[in-house]
Amino acid sequence: MKDSSKHFANHSALEHLKEAREKGQGVFSEVHGLEPSGCMIALLDSAKTTVILLLTTWTLLFLFATPFSIASLFLFALSFGLLFLHTGRSAYLGWARLERLHRLIEEERWEIEHHKEQEKEELIEMYEAKGFQEPLLSQVIETLMADDNRLLEVMLTEELAIPLEAYEHPLKQGVYALIGSSISVFLFFLGRWISPFYGPIIISFGIVISASLLFAKIQKNEKMRACIWNLSLFGMIVGGVYLLGRFLQNVL
Amino acid sequence: MKKRPDPYLFDEFFASGKEESISPFLFPSSRKWAHNLTLKNAIFTAIIFSIAFATSFFSLHLSNLFLAMVYFLVGTPAVLDTVEDLRNFEINIDVLMTLAALLSILIGSQMEGALLLVLFALSGSMEKAVSSKTKSAIQNLRDISPSRVTLLENNIPIEKNIHEIQVKNSIVVKAGEIIPLDGKITQGSSYVNLLHLTGESLPTSKTIGDEVYAGSHNLDGMITVEVSKTSHESTLAQIIQLIQGAQAAKPKVEKLLDRFGKYYASTIILLSAAFAGLLPFLLSIPFLSIEGSVYRALAFLIAASPCALIIATPTAYLSAISACARKGILLKGGVILDAICSAKIIAFDKTGTLTQGKLTFSHIDSYSSTSHTPLSQEEIFSIAATLEQGVLHPIAETITLYASQNSLSLLPLEQFKSKPGYGVEGMVTIQDKKVLVLLGSFEHILVQLGEKTIMERWPYLTEEIKNKEHLLSCLLVESNLYLFHFMDHLRPKIQNVISDLKRKFSFRILMLTGDHQKSAERIAKEAGIEEYYFDLKPEDKLHLIARFIQEGSVTMIGDGINDAPSLMRSNVGISMGKIGSSSAIEASDAIFLHDDLSQIPWLFKKAKQTRRILLQNISLAFLVILLATTPSLLGFIPLWLAVILHEGGTVIVGLNSLRLLK
Repeated sequence: MKDSSKHFANHSALEHLKEAREKGQGVFSEVHGLEPSGCMIALLDSAKTTVILLLTTWTLLFLFATPFSIASLFLFALSFGLLFLHTGRSAYLGWARLERLHRLIEEERWEIEHHKEQEKEELIEMYEAKGFQEPLLSQVIETLMADDNRLLEVMLTEELAIPLEAYEHPLKQGVYALIGSSISVFLFFLGRWISPFYGPIIISFGIVISASLLFAKIQKNEKMRACIWNLSLFGMIVGGVYLLGRFLQNVL
Repeated sequence: MKKRPDPYLFDEFFASGKEESISPFLFPSSRKWAHNLTLKNAIFTAIIFSIAFATSFFSLHLSNLFLAMVYFLVGTPAVLDTVEDLRNFEINIDVLMTLAALLSILIGSQMEGALLLVLFALSGSMEKAVSSKTKSAIQNLRDISPSRVTLLENNIPIEKNIHEIQVKNSIVVKAGEIIPLDGKITQGSSYVNLLHLTGESLPTSKTIGDEVYAGSHNLDGMITVEVSKTSHESTLAQIIQLIQGAQAAKPKVEKLLDRFGKYYASTIILLSAAFAGLLPFLLSIPFLSIEGSVYRALAFLIAASPCALIIATPTAYLSAISACARKGILLKGGVILDAICSAKIIAFDKTGTLTQGKLTFSHIDSYSSTSHTPLSQEEIFSIAATLEQGVLHPIAETITLYASQNSLSLLPLEQFKSKPGYGVEGMVTIQDKKVLVLLGSFEHILVQLGEKTIMERWPYLTEEIKNKEHLLSCLLVESNLYLFHFMDHLRPKIQNVISDLKRKFSFRILMLTGDHQKSAERIAKEAGIEEYYFDLKPEDKLHLIARFIQEGSVTMIGDGINDAPSLMRSNVGISMGKIGSSSAIEASDAIFLHDDLSQIPWLFKKAKQTRRILLQNISLAFLVILLATTPSLLGFIPLWLAVILHEGGTVIVGLNSLRLLK
């Protein structure tokens, strides 16, 4: 069934639904990759990223035989930047997502107010796809259409697939990212103080393993698989930087 | 299992301007992070600034690190606001402050620049925190406007969206529900409360053929209504349109400093540019270098935005707001005090504002037939309270309250019947005898006895009832008829308030009411108001206010939904916190939390005192610029003296504002 209205832009209600869901999913994507919601996720992610960047820098400083005290100062200054980076990035991306969500809800409300009939068609498509048949289908649609608030909720969660009450406030997310980064910085320097060579490596491994396991647990993913993948990636990054550094050292 | 509201009320979220603190996407536990975020940010930045100041004594670099955080946290929002102002071709005090704060980095005065930003952020966020903006007056009206309607389709009730209902559709309204659309009753009868239209809380009897209006409260009967207007044209929609129109037409009140600010900021920026360009020719100094004209021009620009000027307005406003709050007056921002100061006319609503808005028993008129002994007042109340127990109606509540206050006992009651829109009846045992008793409107008695019998027994009764000023309720016990009179009384000491406002402030006092002429006349006379207007609908009140604004600044004091458009349109709207409707409270600029109108003269005095102190503060701040900072930049007085005068000026301005706390 084709509808030539402005609302569907020459698409059928079903095609429009598919597009709307893609639009809704676009909310979760970020320019710099995925910024998962949830403060614990932000904490673990920033802890992991911070320790990887610190260890990578430490590797380069070690490779180029930087004196311990200068390397310490360098790493300390970098840590400050990393704390700001992770806090700011997490909070900013959270706000950017919230802004998009608020724009989408505004657009959907406008659609409900101005294109009620088309919204009804979309509802029929959705509930037919769920297996509803007449006369139950009409009863369900009429009930949903009777209240604009309820209709908006249904369209958000079912058409755009955007969950409600599912996100943390951006500031809270940023603060948790700050805590994650701070834990990494503290443990990294503690490890370095206890054992200048093995300390940072062991601590970094420990943080990556713990963060990966907790991350997988929260997301209900397979823990061992997540842990191995993350360790492998971690090894690739640090090893890659070390080896490239060695190569450049010889070339130069 | 997780519990969630059903359904979501998105309207409130949209009405708030999509506030994060009520965003439907955030976890409820997470929303509190958004409360007063700008104030929290300003306070946090002030702490960082203090650390920067403390560390400046032993490490400039560390101090600068903390200053960088200050610039990031409060400088970024300030730059965003400034860019927005400049895009609108507006040069104001905000632009000057931001410009001064940023340029201060160039001449090594980053500490002063950061202080400007922190003070600016603190003052702005504090003012924002005291202004309530979460819910709009329109949202409150939408709250009482049902979104779902029970439509009768082939005599089968179906729930429909209000927007789908067409003219001539039949809808069912149950007892206790709000009437969703305007229309005519085709079935049933009920008492209906027309509070939003007339401002009067007394219910009106409605039966087949009578018009009912959207937003009215259907009190006791189930009625079927033939819709005469769609949701976009209904009476409630019209009030919403009136409020929106009034909002757009509301005279914009500017802060005292903002009024000067536009000219001041432009002048300072132009002067700085002139100094930078002309000083080398006048004083034989270079353009660049530490003694150069550009440096001096920048220093002048920064010095011309002193701390005293920034704190002059917010400290005065916040002190006054705090003093008002202690007296039970809530002000939605300090700028309201400026508007109150300019008032020339005060318009009062009647019911609920000048009067108490509740019925009190006045007296009983007895129309006994010769064959029966008239009952005593106590006996009459016992009988009436027996019938009215459990009835939800203002008159019923007044009667039962009177009976309980006077410890009157209730009598045995049988065959009780409620006739929605008319009254009640039943067999009451009086002196061991079962008697049919009717209580309710005059129409109720008329239906029972018939017009002929009434004319025979009491020939002038119908005419007398028509001419009564008070609200009546009729009690028929056998052939004896008793008329209960109820009145709404003036608030205590209101005459003194009106007299003070006229005598001490020379205000022109008006009374606007939706009530009829006789009632308006009585209340106006009792209150001492000569100029009064009656039979006013919300739009009539609004038009009158708009007309009065042409003659002088108007302060409107009201409480009902019907007052909301006028409160919004007037220069200052004041509502009553206890008795007032949510819409009136949201539409107003100030709220009397304890409904104590005797505070009005005090509020006007406080507003005048605030303006006086504000002017003193601004003058002092300018004096600091003129007499201290600028001469020091030109080399006429030593820098240390300039600093002492500069800081001293700030302290004096702050202390001067604190006088308003009293």
